[in-house]
Amino acid sequence: MKIALLGNPGAGKSLIFNQLTGLGIEVNRYPGSSVCLECGNVCYKKEKIEIVDLPGIYSLDGSSDEEILVRKFLEQAGADVIVAILDATKLERSLYLFLQVAEFSPRIIAVLNMIDEAEKQGLIIDVDTLSARLGVPVLLTAASEGRDIDRILPLALGSSRVVSFEVPYDHHIEAALKSLEKTMGTPRYKNLLALQGTGEDPMLLDSAGAVAHEIELRHRMSVRQIIATNRHNLSRKIAASAVRQGDRKKTYDLDSLLTRVFPGVPILCTILFFLLLTVFVIGSWMQEIIVQTFTTYIIVPFVALELPPLLERIGFSVLVALEAGLGIAFPFIFTFYVGLSLIEDTGYMTRAAFLADRAMHRIGLHGEAIIPMVIGFGCTVPAVMSLRILKTRREKTIAAFLITLVPCSARTVVIAGIVAAFVGIAWAFSIYLIVFVLIIITAVLLSHITPGEQFGMIVEMSVLRRPQARLVLAKSWLRIKEFLFIAMPLLIITSIALGLFQYFGLTDAFEQLVAPITVTLLGLPEYAATALLFGIFRKELAFETLAVLAGTADLGSVMTAAQLYTFAIVTVLFIPCISTIAVLYRQLGARIAILVSIYSVFLGLFIGAIINMLIK
Amino acid sequence: MQPSLREDYLEAIQHFAMTTGHSPVPHDLAAVLGKPEQEIRSDLEDLKESGDITITGEKTINLTMTGKSVGECVIKKHETLQLFLSEILGMDSTTASSEACTLEHSVSDETVDRLGNYLKKTRPSGNIIADRQKPVVCGFTGTTCDESCTPLSLLDFNEGDELVVRCILGQSCAKRLLDLGVVPGEKVKIRRKHGKDALVLQVKGCDVALSPEIAAAVSVERYP
Repeated sequence: MKIALLGNPGAGKSLIFNQLTGLGIEVNRYPGSSVCLECGNVCYKKEKIEIVDLPGIYSLDGSSDEEILVRKFLEQAGADVIVAILDATKLERSLYLFLQVAEFSPRIIAVLNMIDEAEKQGLIIDVDTLSARLGVPVLLTAASEGRDIDRILPLALGSSRVVSFEVPYDHHIEAALKSLEKTMGTPRYKNLLALQGTGEDPMLLDSAGAVAHEIELRHRMSVRQIIATNRHNLSRKIAASAVRQGDRKKTYDLDSLLTRVFPGVPILCTILFFLLLTVFVIGSWMQEIIVQTFTTYIIVPFVALELPPLLERIGFSVLVALEAGLGIAFPFIFTFYVGLSLIEDTGYMTRAAFLADRAMHRIGLHGEAIIPMVIGFGCTVPAVMSLRILKTRREKTIAAFLITLVPCSARTVVIAGIVAAFVGIAWAFSIYLIVFVLIIITAVLLSHITPGEQFGMIVEMSVLRRPQARLVLAKSWLRIKEFLFIAMPLLIITSIALGLFQYFGLTDAFEQLVAPITVTLLGLPEYAATALLFGIFRKELAFETLAVLAGTADLGSVMTAAQLYTFAIVTVLFIPCISTIAVLYRQLGARIAILVSIYSVFLGLFIGAIINMLIK
Repeated sequence: MQPSLREDYLEAIQHFAMTTGHSPVPHDLAAVLGKPEQEIRSDLEDLKESGDITITGEKTINLTMTGKSVGECVIKKHETLQLFLSEILGMDSTTASSEACTLEHSVSDETVDRLGNYLKKTRPSGNIIADRQKPVVCGFTGTTCDESCTPLSLLDFNEGDELVVRCILGQSCAKRLLDLGVVPGEKVKIRRKHGKDALVLQVKGCDVALSPEIAAAVSVERYP
């Protein structure tokens, strides 16, 4: 037996999935976050049941990845039973998708989730009427409280039905559907899609296209609009027959604060600032503990083993990579994720997107792009992964370039450890300023030269609610696991490669080779080249390597303030770390990954050279 | 008021506005329709009550959105019928015009559309309908209109305004809007708006944030 959960984004599918299977999958509160299928198995009455969590969609006849995926799934009858998750507070809108799903004639049950929210809003839902109108069993649940989730499986297995009614479309559409059915022998749902220009059968598309054109001429309205209007009208009728508005408790509308320019924008800035400050303070403190513990209890005893030199070098490299991974992942990235998940789960992110829309338009993007950018302050890797919420390739490309420039937590460590500690706090902030100016210049430049169409923001505002600690932690944990899964192997491989590099004495040769750049162009000591090379592997390692090569942690005594400043800014800008390049490759292909890398190398050297000249 | 009389008035007002470029006063209508001004004034009161026109200042008559679309629709029917009668059936143009005046009130939208398509096929250079080639939807009252209505978009209204969607221009952004319930005839409300920037639209009980270029594609009118 296989059952699939299907519904609008934010209707609570993932949460229900988690409670049904006990598996952890991320519950994201911005639309379109889960793009692949998540499966889990449960045992019910000694039978193995596979549960699939389909990505959240608003419609089945669009062309986004999610919509195509779900459509294919339904076409191939990928599941025995569809559990349609409807949002009880937005029944009318949820039914629009339900009606489309019903056209594929699967066995189906309807789950009205968020009934707790609906009760708060004073909505009274008549389950029997709704069930009679839809022709399938209806269940009321509240996933956030876990209410009645255990009744989903028995109902899905025992009493699922195929919806028997059809959406009554405009008579021209109905006539077209009938004639297509007769001439082409294709089912109704395929003909409906074909009339809207979707499908794979060229013959069907051709005849449907001709009919659709005629209908459009007559109605002066696109077939899509007619079909959508018909579906919405039926949803409205069904919803109106089943929902009554009872007494509504007056609640304070927080949006009157959050979405106004004032105080909305100051609130947004404060939230982001405190998020970064908290991450930095907690992160530095935790990192010190972790690195110290690791060094004392693992690295020191390992070195004391006195293994053969080559073996020792390799083992040492692996340990350093582990230390680096743990030292950056848990203190900074995990803390950042907890903060981010907390903000996301309140539903605030969509407000941030709305407020940021204007500023983002200036740089060729739109409000939704603020989400990857904010994530970029924590770590570039998940930020690049979150690029999938942007719709066009143009937006993804521009955002990819900008994200790799945003100072992530590792670069914050470099700025704090080198500039703030040895040069001065004000100088540290000046690096941020330079980076932001560069981001804006890059963005303006890219928005002019990147090909493709600009697509504005259409984003549903999530309902504001209190985040739950358990869910926030679970989600952060899953994200950090994803990060470790991508980054750890790369860290270890690169660490070993660099270890061998040093072991075979190639470091000196390399330093000699690039000395014209390091010494002449940037005015840095020769060994800084090796430190920069280590920065590719993980940014703040550049700083640590520099200390090792300089032979002292007091960098101020071996390098001038100007050199330190130049070194820091080159490290911050210079080439994204290896994990970032890897995810860029995976998300956007080799071309963009290479372009981004080349651009950042060029930018780092260029700005470094300018600063060197100015300070000299 | 008789529906045909109402249509005659709206047609005359719209025709006057289109040809002269300014809105008529009762005196102008009396000249066009050949009726005593007294009678016209009382009829105009009825039209005002039914929400087809507004009368401002010095008795200037302006059409509301509904009135305008009805007026334009009747003009289009009239033009199509007259063209068909004169060019295809060979009637002389005065008879064709007066005949069209009677037929325009009872002929269905579909007949006119089909006649229009037929005319277009037979006379490819035909200009009457040719300059109305890029029609836009306004489906909620069953009437049709075209871009000459210069529809107002979401950007032309303010925070707190309750509106009705007339149509969505442009194809690329339309899909997601349709899915979210922004369909012709839907009642929506502007929840938040920052000047000419992004706005939050309340539709079907959900708040949806839109970029300005998307909002500009949603043609709306004030909720009556």
